[in-house]
Amino acid sequence: MVVEDIGLDASAPLLEVRDLRVHFKTDRGTVKAVDGVSWSISEGETMAIVGESGSGKSVSAMTILGLIQSPPATFPTGDIFLRGRSLMRMPEKQQRRLRGKEIAMIFQDPLTALNPVFKVGDQIAEMVRNHQDVSKTVAKRRALDLLGEVGIPNPAVRLNQYPHEFSGGMRQRAMIAMALANDPQVLLADEPTTALDVTVQAQIMALLTKLQEDRNTAIVLITHDLGVVASHADRINVMYAGRIVESGTTDEIFYQPRHAYTFGLLSSLARMDFSRQERLLPIKGQPPSLANVPKGCAFHPRCAFTTEKCTAAIPVLEPVGGDGHVAACVHSDRVAIAYEERVVTP
Amino acid sequence: MTTTPDPADLRFPAEALLTEPAVEEVIPVGEDVPVKRRSNSQWADVWRRYKRNKLAMVGLGVIGVLFVLAVVGQFLAPYDPFEQNLINTLEGPSADHWFGTDELGRDLFSGLLYGLRLAFIVGLSVMVGSLLIGVTLGAIAGYLGGAMDSLLMRITDVFLAFPYLIAAIILIRAFDPGRQHVYPVVIVLVVLAWPTTGRLMRGQVLAAREAEYVEAARSIGAPGPRIVLRHILPNSIAPVLVYAFTGIGVAIVSMAGLSFLGIGVPTDEPEWGRMIAAGFKFFQVPGSSYLWVFPSIAIVITVLAFAFVADGLRDSLDPKLR
Amino acid sequence: MGKFIIRRMAQGVLVIIAAMAAIFLALFAIGDPFSSSGDKVVPPDTQALLRSKFGLDKPLPLQFVIYLKNMFTGDLGIDYDQRRQVSSMLGEALPHTVRLALVAIVLDILIGVIAGIIAAVFRYTFWDVLVTILTTLALGVPVFVLGLSLRANVTGHFFFPAVPRSAFGEEPFWLAEVILPALALAVTDAAFVARLMRGSMLEVMRADYIRTARAKGLSERTVIGRHALRNSVIPVVTYMGIGFGTLLGGAIITETIFLYPGVGLLLFKSIQNNNNPVIMAVAAFAVIVFVGLSLIVDILYAYLDPRIRLS
Repeated sequence: MVVEDIGLDASAPLLEVRDLRVHFKTDRGTVKAVDGVSWSISEGETMAIVGESGSGKSVSAMTILGLIQSPPATFPTGDIFLRGRSLMRMPEKQQRRLRGKEIAMIFQDPLTALNPVFKVGDQIAEMVRNHQDVSKTVAKRRALDLLGEVGIPNPAVRLNQYPHEFSGGMRQRAMIAMALANDPQVLLADEPTTALDVTVQAQIMALLTKLQEDRNTAIVLITHDLGVVASHADRINVMYAGRIVESGTTDEIFYQPRHAYTFGLLSSLARMDFSRQERLLPIKGQPPSLANVPKGCAFHPRCAFTTEKCTAAIPVLEPVGGDGHVAACVHSDRVAIAYEERVVTP
Repeated sequence: MTTTPDPADLRFPAEALLTEPAVEEVIPVGEDVPVKRRSNSQWADVWRRYKRNKLAMVGLGVIGVLFVLAVVGQFLAPYDPFEQNLINTLEGPSADHWFGTDELGRDLFSGLLYGLRLAFIVGLSVMVGSLLIGVTLGAIAGYLGGAMDSLLMRITDVFLAFPYLIAAIILIRAFDPGRQHVYPVVIVLVVLAWPTTGRLMRGQVLAAREAEYVEAARSIGAPGPRIVLRHILPNSIAPVLVYAFTGIGVAIVSMAGLSFLGIGVPTDEPEWGRMIAAGFKFFQVPGSSYLWVFPSIAIVITVLAFAFVADGLRDSLDPKLR
Repeated sequence: MGKFIIRRMAQGVLVIIAAMAAIFLALFAIGDPFSSSGDKVVPPDTQALLRSKFGLDKPLPLQFVIYLKNMFTGDLGIDYDQRRQVSSMLGEALPHTVRLALVAIVLDILIGVIAGIIAAVFRYTFWDVLVTILTTLALGVPVFVLGLSLRANVTGHFFFPAVPRSAFGEEPFWLAEVILPALALAVTDAAFVARLMRGSMLEVMRADYIRTARAKGLSERTVIGRHALRNSVIPVVTYMGIGFGTLLGGAIITETIFLYPGVGLLLFKSIQNNNNPVIMAVAAFAVIVFVGLSLIVDILYAYLDPRIRLS
């Protein structure tokens, strides 16, 4: 959209994260929240980042927006490119102009994410006015349109209400309206449905899909909920302990998982698309503290496939067949066989 | 107080990361969570956080020294603080009289030691008194609710409608028009301090009453008083205790302020506020400022020490508030 | 909202009447000044005459009702000492106290709020440590110690007038006269406000909506100045309201130290000679102002926090 910026490269991917590391120094040691993550996304695409809490998925999104403060954070390696422009080397002032305009974000809990003392309409209008040179009236008018567009009934009244007068689903709709106020190219959705009722979850996801089709927005969907991912994502990155452990299309991940962790996630999930399924298998143990990640493959203490090879070195992402399907597991073949045995594919 | 970041401050974003809500697909297995004895580790935790606060440790040390002085001071004092010596009035500090003598020749150092004892007695009595009344009434009002609660709230409303000092002055005059004793000061300060303690306690109990562990206790048929004493109080009293502790300093300053105005303690009592007021009458006499400066320093040191400890207690009991 | 205000006002009136009854009772316990001097100084029949003149011979509840009735007509009785209208004595002292309270509260806000914001925004830097140390010290120094130090060392120097006023000189400029007592009053309060502001600001800065504001691409100044400030100032407003109410009721210690002719000094003098009508009037005035300001604070609170406004 903005063409005057120097370094713009139309052929480059819309948004690219390259070998990103985000570390925090704390009393309990260095927390490696993100430890060497790369991915990219193009227009109209929905890419999911899936992982348990503490896997670093939210931090990577916050880093893209430049919301991680340094100190306490450090960024030992990595860069983020928006159409080839480096966001990390960009001065703060210039970065701020992109925030909310070309990259917008919606958050998990829409009640706490909206400022309780300002009217919802004003909060949306603020987003408009911050990036567009329009009058207050025009901005308010735009807020009204946006509220209507995200399916809020009676938007003229809702415009002048406060967040606590909205229901949970309505608040998230308002958040979405705010995020889309400047027609951003990339939308970072951090657990957008986790705090909502199941029926409302489906409505919100449907709304996001519809808005995405209208605007050709790229959506980075950050979630722990594989159910949401299955029906909405084009591609999936599975994260564990600050690293991507497997990446592929949604079909590849769901039907041919090649990392033991992905295998574990899928085995603990009730599936409707399989005719027969064995008992659900929970992953034992808890995700590691990011200040103290196990040696070698971080997943090995909880893994059913662990051998000595797993602790020798941190496995790297390697192609496991398919187009761009990669996994960082030394036992990817055994995982594939085990998964075949476990399920009877339709 | 400290300058090194505490893990509690890194809640956003690093801590937030570590404390994200638990996710369904992880089912923790009992093997890796050692069950600690909660009460012990809780207090150990409080003490560990408290120790990190240097000023709070200094405050604790100073209070310790002052406490010892208050207890054994009457044996250390070189003179009887009430003993007048009319040929030796308004003497500046000397080897005989370390802090000099007042207009009636009384030894200032001995007087200060006596005042220290008085400050401790009054400060601690006011704390204990307001805690006893405030916690009892606050817990009853909060737990029973209804008419009891409204009654208590209206009573505290009336108490809290007075500016503190005006209320104290009028009440003390009403209790003890002739200024014969010290205890009316204690009574009045307790009367003025308990409503806040009571309200705080009530709020804490109201919050705790709805908690699930109380619900659980009720469901197994535990009697009301037992629920309050065993389940609600231990979980809700910490902020009340911190507040009451802050009250020690307030009580000491209040007593001094009142006697500074000539109200409260008997006229010949070596009380710091009274000594300051008496000494300041001579402030235009060259070289006489020791008369009011020494008691002022005494009160500032004491109050600061209590304030440091209160700060440290608050921070270590509730690290979020820092 | 209207209902809420009316209910709170009714509550306030009841509280004021109850508080005044309490003062009345307390003053009765102190006793009347005509008998305390002893029968030899004031003969018994003179005492009786004086008592009936001041209405003290009537039963106490009736006295109270009469007092309340007179108060509504602006009649606060006549003082025992100079036989003047108490209302005019209060009227003379009041402008001085209002000036003092206003200057003190402005200093409070300026010093306290700004220091608190700086400490919170520049957390763990030199500025934060400085504010923490200064506020701790300020909170440990009682107002009379600070007041006396200022009186002993600063009054009469620079442009500050001498205390007490010289008998023949012209009246000093009010601001020059008010600034030192106001400073003595403001230091403790400002320290408290600074701490309150810092804590409140830090709490708010952690909130999710601050992250949202940053995600909107707002400048840090807007994030703090608009989104964080509005939320974090709420507890400070409450405290300031109560502090202002206390100040208006008369800063007894400070006014006494600086011999500043406000309500506090008037109260101090009347307490010294058991001048009950004046004590009663000042105390009642203080309670009314205090309760009234609490009400205003409640309304302001509701204005600042819409969550309260509508519930």
